[in-house]
Order: sequence, then C-alpha cells, then structure tokens
Amino acid sequence: MYLVIVGGGKVGSPLASSLINEGHEVFVLDNNPDTVAKIQRELGMIATIGDATSLRALQDAGASRAGAIIAATDSDEDNLAACQLARTNFDVPRTIAVAHSPENAELFDFAGVDLVVSATDLVLANLATALPAHPLIRLMPIADRTQELVAIKLPAAGTAIGRTLSEITLPYGAKIVLMITSEGHQKSPDSDPVIEAEDEIIALSPANSTAELWELLTELR
Amino acid sequence: MNVIIMGAGSLGSSLSRKLSDLGHRITVIEKNPKAVSLLPRGRVDSGAMTVIHRDGSTGPAMIEAGIADADVFIAATGKDSLNGLAAQRAKFTFRVETVMAVVSDEAARTLYDSLGVGTINKATLASSAIASMLSKDEV
Repeated sequence: MYLVIVGGGKVGSPLASSLINEGHEVFVLDNNPDTVAKIQRELGMIATIGDATSLRALQDAGASRAGAIIAATDSDEDNLAACQLARTNFDVPRTIAVAHSPENAELFDFAGVDLVVSATDLVLANLATALPAHPLIRLMPIADRTQELVAIKLPAAGTAIGRTLSEITLPYGAKIVLMITSEGHQKSPDSDPVIEAEDEIIALSPANSTAELWELLTELR
Repeated sequence: MNVIIMGAGSLGSSLSRKLSDLGHRITVIEKNPKAVSLLPRGRVDSGAMTVIHRDGSTGPAMIEAGIADADVFIAATGKDSLNGLAAQRAKFTFRVETVMAVVSDEAARTLYDSLGVGTINKATLASSAIASMLSKDEV
C-alpha cells in the first residue's frame, strides 16, 4: 500500500522504516530540512520538505493515490489538519493521527480521524504494567513512625497462596493483624487460616521492614 | 453578543476593538503576554474587555473564557492548523453557535466549510477591498 507519513521525527522516522520492511511504499513529508536529509540518508529518497498542512505539499507527496495518511508530527493541530485535508481534498481512505494531549485525542475521534493514537494513553498503559499491580497502602503511622499499619493485596499467582499463615516467615517485628477475603469476609490470624488469592492483609510492620513484607507476600510463582 | 477571540495579533486585536465598539462583550485569549499590547488598553483596564493569558486552543482555556455563554468563537492566530483545531473544539465540544477560523490557505476553505466553520482569509479580504475601491474610483 502507498502510505504518506507526515512528520519524520521521533515517531515518523522509525515508523517509515518498519513499514518499508513490511513491504509498503512509504513517503515522508516534514518541514524540517535536517529531518528530511536524515531520512534520505537512512532510507533513500523517500522524504521531501513540505508543510503537511498545505494542500500543495500533500499533493506533491502523492496523497491522491495514498491508501492511508499517518500524521505523526509533534503538533496536534498539524496532525488533525493533515488528516482532514487528506480526507476532504484527496479522498484518502484511511486517516491515522497521533494526539499528544488526551483532550485532542477525543476531539480527533469526533472530527472524523479513523484511528487516533493517544500518546498519553500509551504511556499510561505502559506505566500500569510497570507499576506493582498489587499495591501497598500505608494506612497509619504508629509509635512515632517507627511502625506502620499497612494493607497489602495478594496476587492470585503469588507464592504465598495456598499456604497457611504460620508457614510464612515474616520479617522480624511484623505481625498480621487481620485478613480479609475478596468477598469481604474476615479471617483471624490466630486461627492460622489458609492464604487465598486476592486476600487483603492488614499488617503492623516496623517501618523499615514494610518493603520486605510486601515483597514476601506478593512474590509471584 | 458574547464573543471569544483567540489570538491578539494584528487581526485579532483590530477585530476585538471593532466588535467592542459595536457593543459586544469581548474575551480575548492570548498565550503570549507581550502580544496583547495591540489591544485597547483602556477597555482591558476598565474590564470592558477580558484578556486571558493561556493557550486558547485548549478546553480549560475556553472554559475560563466563558465559552459556555459564548455566541461567537473566532480563532485568529497566525497558524491555520491551530485555528482549525480550536474552531472544531469550540464547535463540536462546546457547541458554540457561530465559529470562525482565520486561514491563509484559501484551499483549506473546502474543509472548514464542510465542518460548518466559517473562514476568514486575510489575503482575499484585502484584495477584494482594494478591488472594490479601485472599481468605485473608475465609475
């Protein structure tokens, strides 16, 4: 497919390269001469200098025979304009745009861009996988902050699941105060209950052992 | 009428002065604090004209400018694509009745016409004004 990429910077340039490797015919439009020169050095004569929001430049880039336009400049407004001009003036069948701000991502959807890539959503999605899914919540500092009351949610695939409480060796000074099942039932630590998936554990811990306690209880199999 | 003008450049400033003369309530959104020197200072100081220092293309800036009660939104910065985006936000997100965008590329008009956004083209306005002056002289 013939694809026009608008913006050959941090997003556009590697995108052009991988689309070429997938067998597409790609043309890049960028208003920065240095960016265009770099792409020409690395990928051949597939880039030209031009303002993606000008009809003339889109025409010169062959928008009228493009199967899709991908707008990946740093400027949200230019990405929107490029997609809309490509659609209304050259009947480009598929428009794809990067939106850097979340409110613009919504507007792009509404304004008829076929596929909106929200930069913020991508970062957030990556963060969510990088951050601990089973949070540690510090409920209350106790005894001049030398100890603290914490809540820890246990992962379903944790090493602690299926064992009884007494089989777990807690950090020195840490004590499980209460366990709450995912259905909300309370389990008293004194009855040495079996630890189940998604149990929430309320513990009293020396402040400097809390991280160790969290790691112990949320370690994955 | 309540009119919001985004951009206090030469066109935005003279437009805000003219519309203010006609008795409309004007709110100008201009990101650059230095750029507002073209606005009628007396009216800004007296509160007859409101100036907001923000990027006017964003939702929060439009809300601060009172877009909920605006009858007209005019995007008059020097950048066509930014005017286009702001105009569409005003039209689609905030449902402003009359929305206009300043564009220098006459070809972009087809696009904005199809979106229900009016366009103002400085070059076209200037040339037709000059042409009509000359033709009057001849008659």
